[in-house]
Amino acid sequence: MSTYTKKQVSDLVKGTLDWDTVHLMLSMPKDEARYKLYMEVLQENVSYDDKIILAVGPHLNIVESSKDQEIIIKCDCGHEFGHYSKNWKLNALIYVRDNVEKMKEVYPELMAPDTNWQVYREYYCPSCGIMHDVEAPTPWYPVMHDIQPDLKTFFEWLDMPAPAKI
Amino acid sequence: MNDLTNPVEVLGIDAGGTMTDTFFVRADGTFVVGKAQSDVDEANAVLTSSVDALAHWDTTPEEVFPQMVTCVFSGTAMLNRVVGRKGLRTGLIVSKGFEDFHRMGRAIQCYLGYAFEDRLHLNTHRYDEPLAHIHDTRGVTERVDSKGGVVIPVRLHEAREAARELVEQGCKAIVISFLSSYLNGTHERAVRDVCLEVIKEMGSNIPVFASVDYYPVRKETHRTNTTLLEAYAAEPSRKILANLSQRMKDVGAKYDVRVMASHGGTISWKAKELARTLVSGPIGGVMGSRYLAEQLGYENVACSDIGGTSFDMALIVKGKVSMHQDGDCARLVLSLPLVSMDTIGAGAGSFVRIDPYSNSLKLGPDSAGYRVGTCWPAGGVDTVSVTDCHIILGYLNPDNFLGGILELDVPRAKQCVKEQIADPLGMSLEDAAAGVIELLDLSLRQHLRAMISAKGYSPSDFVCFSYGGGGPVHAYGYTMGLGFKETIVPAWAAGFSAFGCATADFEYRYDKSTDIGITKDSTTAEKQEAVNTLGACWKELADKVMEEFKINGFTEDDVTLTPGYRMQYLGQLNDLEMSSPLSDIGSPEDWDKLVATFDETYGRVYADAARSPELGFGVTAAIMRGSVETKKPSIPSEPDAGPNPPAEAVIGERPFYYGRKWVTAKLYKMESLLPGNRITGPAVIESDATTYVIPTGFETWLDGHRLFHLIEV
Ligand SMILES: [Zn+2]
Repeated sequence: MSTYTKKQVSDLVKGTLDWDTVHLMLSMPKDEARYKLYMEVLQENVSYDDKIILAVGPHLNIVESSKDQEIIIKCDCGHEFGHYSKNWKLNALIYVRDNVEKMKEVYPELMAPDTNWQVYREYYCPSCGIMHDVEAPTPWYPVMHDIQPDLKTFFEWLDMPAPAKI
Repeated sequence: MNDLTNPVEVLGIDAGGTMTDTFFVRADGTFVVGKAQSDVDEANAVLTSSVDALAHWDTTPEEVFPQMVTCVFSGTAMLNRVVGRKGLRTGLIVSKGFEDFHRMGRAIQCYLGYAFEDRLHLNTHRYDEPLAHIHDTRGVTERVDSKGGVVIPVRLHEAREAARELVEQGCKAIVISFLSSYLNGTHERAVRDVCLEVIKEMGSNIPVFASVDYYPVRKETHRTNTTLLEAYAAEPSRKILANLSQRMKDVGAKYDVRVMASHGGTISWKAKELARTLVSGPIGGVMGSRYLAEQLGYENVACSDIGGTSFDMALIVKGKVSMHQDGDCARLVLSLPLVSMDTIGAGAGSFVRIDPYSNSLKLGPDSAGYRVGTCWPAGGVDTVSVTDCHIILGYLNPDNFLGGILELDVPRAKQCVKEQIADPLGMSLEDAAAGVIELLDLSLRQHLRAMISAKGYSPSDFVCFSYGGGGPVHAYGYTMGLGFKETIVPAWAAGFSAFGCATADFEYRYDKSTDIGITKDSTTAEKQEAVNTLGACWKELADKVMEEFKINGFTEDDVTLTPGYRMQYLGQLNDLEMSSPLSDIGSPEDWDKLVATFDETYGRVYADAARSPELGFGVTAAIMRGSVETKKPSIPSEPDAGPNPPAEAVIGERPFYYGRKWVTAKLYKMESLLPGNRITGPAVIESDATTYVIPTGFETWLDGHRLFHLIEV
């Protein structure tokens, strides 16, 4: 089995790891130390102490709260989006691009979708303003719930003790 | 000493990524192999390697080079330049609206060259950086349709503007490639002339390449890639080869250096189309096999070349090497005719790991390469390689690895194999290492069998040639039980590619796409027109061939022209490459002769019942090969000295693990063995450059041409 250094995993997260190594990582069975190294790298990138369990976006993690051990979703800035079993997007600021003018800000005219058929919904952190996600649904479509991890099984796979409140 | 009655005549050079091999041959066929570590300055490595080789004869390049008559080079520098994207900054002018097709790589380029699993695994698909950046790409309004008619005349003022911008931006060459230009090259040529004008006006002198002047063939991605390589990668090589040539002249050389090209011939380093030499290393071995086979009377040969990172296979059927029309290389589709080879990414230096899900051994896909394995601590490798297993099991001599250049740490290799392989599998160290070797042998054997049977043949029709640094180590393993007529290991296996280069013809080959189709309803006049079209293509290509030979001072009388064509049944997808039965064509009856030759060949390659003459016949490409006589190495011929090896050839014994137990292998020095000598396994025959393993159940004998015959007993 391959092993990688923490520097390599950190570069992978930053997107600066050389392609040959990335390719090898993709092609080979996952190395045992990866989860631990990956979480360490994520943890070093945030200012809060709550333990990161899993990433759900480049600046959004599932963490074990140091206050009450609840499993919640948290922005890098520390803003909390609520329990991990609920859709965090419902607690985000939402900007909807639903007319030609708004679309023109991101795409040249005639190269954007017809907003009667498709709109862009952008989800921002209410505290720091970072964009966490963009959806491109039909206008009437409900807010999408992208990921609902089965953390109990996940920790069984990892063969590691699971946080108390999952 | 320099023996003037038996001069050194031929030099073959294989400048690989790690080692530069030289292969010198005397008039009587005796040879020496030299090795040197490869160098950024290829001329340096070649001269160092030459000194190493000629020391075996107590002579020097200064003494030998003036008497030599021929020298063929093959190297990986151009390929490395492409793979590392370190070529000349090149501007690209295309049909307006098609600026992006080059970087889209026909979609196939995102997984070309990948192992099968990764082709299926979409996450790994990735486009390499294009050869010409999109910012260095310009569109010019023009359009030629699929019949060669002009739909939109070319707007030359746009070309003028494009050229000016590209030069200003710092491009060091300009390539022009328009849609369908192979059918009508007037637009490309007009733009080429405008570019040259603008470049001159701007006081610059960068080269301009119109695809129609180089590779007038269909498929614009292939054609554009190939023409771009001419600018991007071949121009720098031209300088390096000029330097090599000069350095050799300084030592007294009087020959012109030739370079191995992808079509299996060699071309002058001064050739206009030097990108044809991009793929050369592995082709040398196939050409060497063909030459040996021809000299020794073998019709069908399976060529197998095992190096540190890959296993290359090719078939010679009835003395002929099959060709791919659009080869690919370095993850680029190309318009280069390429000797067809099957390659798998498993070699003597492949890494070995345990797959945690199946708890089984997994080889590669990456390899230690020049870093050898855990047995060479200085190489900085922590993962076990196949070489480590060879060292542990007594296949290779740790004290004389690559002639003793590297100092190996056997205990470290043992510790690594134990921890990484043996313990997780719950096996003994030896059995785990032996399992690795068996797995590699099995996988090579399956690929070899698959390649032969996929083409409708059986191994029993073939003699197997085994060469490359790792060939003789594995020859027994990957041929065992396949039923080849014979397995042959040349004593110069490690320098075989360099040898093969020296056996290749001095030959140019040019191709041109054609759209000729004749059905049973076609009139005589239509046949006449088809013949005229093909004849005109041959004439055009022959002129190009002659133009190249004239650079080296040859006249028409020196050159043998061999026309060819690719034909198919109309509506089918696969065409076959044919040598023309006629040296020139003129009448409608000539068409029938071309058709008859194809029909007969098709029946032989596939089956008589598969022939479909009722569909009609199409010619998809015209081909012209031109060659001149060259000096080739003689095959050594030595008298029989009886079955018993001379005393000086016996150099000792070594424990050797095979068949789940340790046995004692006798050790021989390869160079001291004599023709007729017969050796029964377990035995290991060593030379500086390679190791030939004969396990229990095998024996080998050396013939008068210094070829070892490996026999299962
Ligand atoms: Zn935030």
